[in-house]
Amino acid sequence: MRIGELPNLIQKMRSTLSGKPERRKGRVRESLVSGLKRGETVLEARGITKRFPGVVANDHIDFDIKAGEIHAVLGENGAGKTTLMNILFGILRPDEGGIYVRGRKVEFKSPLDAIDLGIGMVHQHRKLILAHTALENIVLGHPETGKIPDMRRAEEEVGKLCRKYGFKIDLNARVWQLSAGEQQLVEILKALYRGAKLLILDEPTSVLTPLETERFLKSLRAMARGELAIVPFITHKLPEVLGVSDRVTILRKGKVMKRLETRKATMKALARHMVGREVLFRLKKPKVKIGKEVLRVENLSALSDKGILALKGVSFSIREGEIFGIAGISGNGQHELAEALAGLRKAEGGKILFRGKDITRASVLQRLKMGIGYIPSERVEVGTIREFSLVDNIAMNLYFDKEYFKWGFLDRGKIREHAKKAILEFDVMAPNIDTKAAHLSGGNLQKLILARVVPRTSRLLIANLPTHGLDVGATEFVRNRLMACKKEGIGILLISEDLDEVLQMSDRIAPIYEGKFVGIVPAKKARKESIGAMMAGAPLEKTRKREGSR
Amino acid sequence: MRLPRLKLEKVVALKGWGAAKVSIYSIITAFIIFSAFLLWEGANPIEAYRHIFSFAFDPRLGLVSTLHRSMFLLFATLAFILPLKAGLWNIGMEGQFYLGTVGAFAVAYAWGDLPSGALIPLMLIAAALFGAGYGVIAGFLRGKLGVNEIVVTLMLNLTAFWLIQFLIVGGPWAGIGECRSRPLPDSAVAPEIGGLPFTVFLAIAISVIFFILFTRSKVGYQIRSFGSNPSAARHVGMSPFKISVLVMAVAGAIAGLSAYHMWAGDPRFYMIPQPEAYKSIGDLTYWGIMVGLLCLLNPLAAIPVSIFVGALKVGGPVLIRRMKLPFGLDLLFLGILFLSFVAFQFFYRYRIKRVKEKR
Repeated sequence: MRIGELPNLIQKMRSTLSGKPERRKGRVRESLVSGLKRGETVLEARGITKRFPGVVANDHIDFDIKAGEIHAVLGENGAGKTTLMNILFGILRPDEGGIYVRGRKVEFKSPLDAIDLGIGMVHQHRKLILAHTALENIVLGHPETGKIPDMRRAEEEVGKLCRKYGFKIDLNARVWQLSAGEQQLVEILKALYRGAKLLILDEPTSVLTPLETERFLKSLRAMARGELAIVPFITHKLPEVLGVSDRVTILRKGKVMKRLETRKATMKALARHMVGREVLFRLKKPKVKIGKEVLRVENLSALSDKGILALKGVSFSIREGEIFGIAGISGNGQHELAEALAGLRKAEGGKILFRGKDITRASVLQRLKMGIGYIPSERVEVGTIREFSLVDNIAMNLYFDKEYFKWGFLDRGKIREHAKKAILEFDVMAPNIDTKAAHLSGGNLQKLILARVVPRTSRLLIANLPTHGLDVGATEFVRNRLMACKKEGIGILLISEDLDEVLQMSDRIAPIYEGKFVGIVPAKKARKESIGAMMAGAPLEKTRKREGSR
Repeated sequence: MRLPRLKLEKVVALKGWGAAKVSIYSIITAFIIFSAFLLWEGANPIEAYRHIFSFAFDPRLGLVSTLHRSMFLLFATLAFILPLKAGLWNIGMEGQFYLGTVGAFAVAYAWGDLPSGALIPLMLIAAALFGAGYGVIAGFLRGKLGVNEIVVTLMLNLTAFWLIQFLIVGGPWAGIGECRSRPLPDSAVAPEIGGLPFTVFLAIAISVIFFILFTRSKVGYQIRSFGSNPSAARHVGMSPFKISVLVMAVAGAIAGLSAYHMWAGDPRFYMIPQPEAYKSIGDLTYWGIMVGLLCLLNPLAAIPVSIFVGALKVGGPVLIRRMKLPFGLDLLFLGILFLSFVAFQFFYRYRIKRVKEKR
């Protein structure tokens, strides 16, 4: 908040309290809403420049969006997408350049100005009240709601919107009962009900399951068929979203690298513009001799945090140099499996054998010392310690090793040396090794976790969603490192929601559904469709068919 | 007139000198605010501050007393800092101090005829063990069952208060005719080094040991990791139970030791005084929280900060007496100090920046 804007704010608060929409001179919201024709330029940004201390986040960016168009903005973490998005929505003000709505120059003092002009934004992290119904969330804060909301009228109007764009959603369900995909629809409806004609979507598919993504993209298309303009911002999952967009703008290091029509684009070219070098989408599986059995799991079951049996008896084995892939939608027991194997979760039943030894009751520390490494899925929450320097973070996997302490005192020199090497090897981008982990983001954080875990893992690596939410470059890096581990003869348990990833990386694949493996399929025989169906839990006839044909 | 446009900026993590500056500014602000109260009462602030510190640091007047109280505060501060490094709030220094009292006096009464060389170490050990045992209750409940340690330690404080009351008011340790205990045997009195009880140097030594522990040792690393991110610590094999019990045990032991320092190190005592008096000394331990936070959990910084607060505690009443100010004004100063520090917490998260107007 700026102190100079206080009078402005007070007026806003007053008008909110009195329930009357604020009247503003010289700005008419009809300018965007009425008479918008397909193909007409809705919003244009010219020469947008935004500097932060030490970086130019946006460097003379030109951008425009037409009605009825889906214009995707691509870029890695740190390419300046978020800054641009925040400028278009009035959260940030550009240092240079201007925004034009239907050819008229506008100045956004706050997101309220942008909303007034018909711009809506859907954040990556949902901002909904979980205990309220979908409809209540949509109506909440609407300028025309007045003091007592007329829920019946609102329901009718929102229902009309749903039918128009083919959204299937129960408006009277409480938000916590809705899936991630449905919650996203609620956010979109909230913007649309407020009269938004231009939607900015931040990483729209990152939290959706494959099935939800499919449905979501269909409704995107339906929305663009009307006069809506849509701008999705994407770092990863290129194929799905590119499938629906009309134009793509690629940002790298704050500059527009390329703008082209989607039908002329190829995945490879897009990734090259985004990352700045060639990206291999097809990983070559190295030929590795599969060795002795490292891990054998017999009928393992475990409770979830809520005390429900989430893992219901799985049996499998992993051998040296083998990647065992578990494909499944989050919440089907794979997280519990990973934690049970790492010793973080008590096994309710069954046995874990590590190189022939029963480790079902072994502690986390004992397992770490045996050479079992765990890459957790929550990078910020449990993977790293924010306030610690990179060295101290790396020390998390060293402190218990006799080589790194003497008489209870840590050997700082040795630890620093190890950390320096690991950080270099794993390409963690930081000014120096005393930088705090809080300053790293996304891909860099995952590289730090790999640098911490991988060099200390000699036998078995449990990788829980290792590339989830990473940009293309970092994803490629992580996959290559896993392959390098495989070459060293480490057995790997790979848990992923990304079907392509599992298919590409694994030697054997086990789709998991409601705490049970639906089957274990050798990668050579696995087909994307059948594994996808097995992940969704209705696999029986398909697997049976295949068995019959054999 | 145009107001200067100011903007708040989030600060990721303030460290080292930057964080220390915030503490120093908050102390300066407290001085300025208290000056206003002094002026209102018609006293010259500069003279007033001179009265406080000239008494507190004068070797012939208050210095011994200041150092004695400061080191008592330092014990309490260290007992507060250690658990907080592991993310646990020990508010039970008072109770642990009382239990240390029970331990030390029990030994002194039972083996009062032992020579000093044997009796004093035994008293110290007993005080530490009793305090540690009391601290472990909260650590155990927290580590095993996830019971909030603040509530447990706070309630145990009251329990311990009544335990001593039971022992000295008409109880087995009662002195002659009054609500206080029998005096300690002469052999239990703390020997002096340079006019100060040796426990003063014990407190400073523990500060230094703590500093080395936090920065260099394996267990210190575990404690810091657990305090910064318990789930990350659990993921690399640190046991929440062991760490909780350990820090609370050591913290309790240190708070327990302060009992020996208090009763056997000050000639005005050498016994447990009547309940109001020992309660007011128990209340002093809460200033350990204040000092611990002011020095940002740095055990070395805790030494000067506790001497500073100790000086205010000793010199405050003198100011009131000499300048004939209303009763309780010295306590007001300590209150302002605390409030000012809490208000300045804001600057750990934000920085005020002036927006440059571009025309």
